[in-house]
Amino acid sequence: MRRFRAEGARGPLQANGVIEVFLLIGGGVAAGLFGSLLGLGGGILIVPLLTLGFGLPLITAVGVSLVCVIVTSGAAAGVYLERRVANLRLGMTLELFTAIGALTGGLVAFLVPERFLALLFAALLAYVALTIGRRRDPAPEPEIITSGAASGRAADAAKSVAALEVRLSGPGYRVRRLGFGVVGSLFAGVVSALLGIGGGLVKVPVMHVVMGVPLRVATATSNLMIGITASAGAIVYLLRGGIDPYVAAPTAIGVFLGATLGSRTAHRIDLRVLRGLFVVILLYTGLQMLLRGLS
Amino acid sequence: MTGDGPMSHRPVPGVAVAVGEIGVERIVARLLAVGTYGSVTLVAIGTALILVNGVQPLGAAPTFDPSRLGDDILHLRAAGFLWLGLIAVVATPAGRVLASLIGYARRGERLMAVVAALILAVIALSVALARGTAV
Repeated sequence: MRRFRAEGARGPLQANGVIEVFLLIGGGVAAGLFGSLLGLGGGILIVPLLTLGFGLPLITAVGVSLVCVIVTSGAAAGVYLERRVANLRLGMTLELFTAIGALTGGLVAFLVPERFLALLFAALLAYVALTIGRRRDPAPEPEIITSGAASGRAADAAKSVAALEVRLSGPGYRVRRLGFGVVGSLFAGVVSALLGIGGGLVKVPVMHVVMGVPLRVATATSNLMIGITASAGAIVYLLRGGIDPYVAAPTAIGVFLGATLGSRTAHRIDLRVLRGLFVVILLYTGLQMLLRGLS
Repeated sequence: MTGDGPMSHRPVPGVAVAVGEIGVERIVARLLAVGTYGSVTLVAIGTALILVNGVQPLGAAPTFDPSRLGDDILHLRAAGFLWLGLIAVVATPAGRVLASLIGYARRGERLMAVVAALILAVIALSVALARGTAV
């Protein structure tokens, strides 16, 4: 494990033991709070916090972030299921593919140079900043479509897929274009394990815009899927020494507290101001990550 | 967010709403809650022991050695509780899939049971590959 930590690397937030624990908890609270208020997982902020703030190697930060992402998604997913917002069948079908993607991403992450991961993360931060900065009203609820006529084997295959799509549908909506969902899920899994995020940035748009799932259901189902997506990657990190428990524990506690606080205060906060601040933070951390990747 | 609740959707002809689905969902939801709060509790105990035992979090990290887990917990070492908590964190989603597998199999929903079994197979493959390539 020690070898994953750059020799002599110290971040600006390193101090004595007790202070470090509280700084990690505080950083986790901030990441969880921001993530919860803006509908993102905390992972997008945890990795920059640990690498740029505490001087940890990117691979360790990603491992810690995956743990935090599982913790925050677990409690919320339970509530979504209890309220019947999340679609368990659809989530399980797609998470089979996010898990395959995450397994692949987890193994690849140990093979690629840290600079490459830093550049990839910088691109992700820029993308998220732009997405949040340009956020518009949600896309209109998708229409229900019926499949066209086909013949022979193609018709049989289309019928099988269509039958499966019907089984995965929920009250008031019909799942469509399952193939795109499978491809999107594989990609989301790879990105999750490489960068330590939940992958909701990919899964929610794919489910909502492409597959015709209502946004609220897509968000809840994505949250449910995050557990398996992140754990398939986290297992690889855990068994290969990529998770530092002394860092993961206080950070996860902080993220858990922050996310809980965020879910209870979201309705009292002016999200426009917060969104602007978040975009600035993302762009700044993206620049720092870019410099790290280029150095 | 659109603000539309699940009850506000109009029913679509041809869309099956599985009877008994609520049972599986409820069990899975409770398992997720118990797993999450249980693992967070273990991690919180470990964090408290980091403070009590004066461990430097950004110093050398302990290596994962399952055979030392019991001894570490008995001697109230932070690492024991932390590793156990982290294992519980990572295992909770797999436990949720296992519960779904049992629930769907009991209801005779072969397809969903197979999907659940395949997810568990991928998780098992993650463990095998990570252990096999551990350095």
